[in-house]
Amino acid sequence: MSQSKGEEKPIKLEDILQSDVWDVDEDPHIIVDSEKCLECPTKPCIYLCPAGCYVKAGDRVIFSYEGCVECGTCRVICPMDAVKWNYPKSGKGILYRFA
Amino acid sequence: MSSIPTRFDVVVVGAGPAGSAAAYLLAKKGFSVLLVERGKGLGDKNMFGGKVYAQPIREVWPELDKEAPIHRWVTKERISMVDGEKVLTVEYRTEKKVSFVTYLTQLTQWMIKKAEGAGALLASEVTVEEILMRDNRVVGIRSGPDVIEADAVIDAEGVNRLLLERLGLVKKLDPDTVGLGVKEVLKVGEGNIESRFGLDKKEGLAWAIVGDITKGIPGGGFIYTNKDTVSMGLVLHLSKKLLDEGSFEGHVSSLIEGFRLHPYFKPYWKDAIISEYGGHLTITDAIKFAPSRFAYPGLLIAGDAAGLLLSLGYTFRGVDYAVYSGKLAADAVEYARNNGGVNYENLQVYDDYIRKSFMYEEIMRHRGAITLMNSFELMSKYPKLLTKVMEKMFEAEYKHEVIYNSLLQALKEEGISPFNLISQAFMMVKGI
Repeated sequence: MSQSKGEEKPIKLEDILQSDVWDVDEDPHIIVDSEKCLECPTKPCIYLCPAGCYVKAGDRVIFSYEGCVECGTCRVICPMDAVKWNYPKSGKGILYRFA
Repeated sequence: MSSIPTRFDVVVVGAGPAGSAAAYLLAKKGFSVLLVERGKGLGDKNMFGGKVYAQPIREVWPELDKEAPIHRWVTKERISMVDGEKVLTVEYRTEKKVSFVTYLTQLTQWMIKKAEGAGALLASEVTVEEILMRDNRVVGIRSGPDVIEADAVIDAEGVNRLLLERLGLVKKLDPDTVGLGVKEVLKVGEGNIESRFGLDKKEGLAWAIVGDITKGIPGGGFIYTNKDTVSMGLVLHLSKKLLDEGSFEGHVSSLIEGFRLHPYFKPYWKDAIISEYGGHLTITDAIKFAPSRFAYPGLLIAGDAAGLLLSLGYTFRGVDYAVYSGKLAADAVEYARNNGGVNYENLQVYDDYIRKSFMYEEIMRHRGAITLMNSFELMSKYPKLLTKVMEKMFEAEYKHEVIYNSLLQALKEEGISPFNLISQAFMMVKGI
């Protein structure tokens, strides 16, 4: 668990996410067609994925599923229909404790 | 799932509040019930804002007040309008036990145990991949190679209704109908909660915040006091307009950080430690989100999947609506059994039950709130206007403006005509 103090100064998202618990699946539950991302003019996933799973690198979008909080936002907002979204299998994924 | 029977009277998909209530009541009525849940630990896929209305849940579990994991009864409701560092807050205090704060993870855990206690079989760590149809009728579910058949399937899969989409019963989630909720749970300490928020033991506070805390995106902020933590976060209404403009000021976590570091709010969580961070979609336009029917042959839709959430801007009801729709689904199955069998003609009463329920009536009656909360213009203008009036009333070095002139000046500065103010204020009061 993170010891990030919740006031006074900014905390990096990656440090905030340290407070969460996952049982990470070996297989990704989300598949992104990154070729489509190249053509995407707005790339809203970069800003709206609360877990920061989508990172911009030039025209590309780099995606990692491990820190996903399973909200489904990327599935709803993707203008290119590039996101194949499933729930993780066998109880894997985020484990909320205080939500 | 190979060790469990392959046929049940009813299969319930999703052990959230809706599914657990339905499974509990059906098991109590003597049906064989399988409650299927993708999560591992009970309740660990559940996420919400923080407040639960009690009365509809007491209809299912009269022992709620005594037994459920209730952190605090809400005795204080606050509404704040924020414009930069300027804040106008209204507070209401009551002692009546109407709503409470808790962790949804704990509350659903309690509900699932009730369902199991009544005889429902829980299959956790099972992700349902498909609702099975045969001859235009739902006949069961599939997870991997495992198939379970049932006379009725209750779909309580939540807001991300992948199964209904795969069945073709609803369209892919429309961004105009949902918002992204992002929440931080801050460990403040029990004593600090009570002294900082002015609460007695077991007393809780619910706080809705509107204004530029969301940086111009329709939606708002929330704060709930749990036993020894504070849940705080933002709901950002997703919309085609927002996505088309594509002008984001930064990552969504920077918005919630701006809220956490806001000079008015941050003393409440001084020295707190972040215990959890999460995200979840919430329904912002229940009418557009709702499926065209709540009952299909062999299938009943409950909870978030049915769009049953009331969002008024100042308060929100999802958990109690979910539980109550689970109850109505159980009632419908019982009605069918007592009237010739669990078949489509008989299960159709569920559609009526929902449409005649207080939930559906409330959603329809308050539909003005949907328009208001989704409006970029109104959501930014009015918090600004009201804080500006306050500024003119209080921030005077020598002369204080009379309130009437403060209002006129603020209206002029915000470009709102008095006629617009009156008509929009009337619309707000009438619609919400």
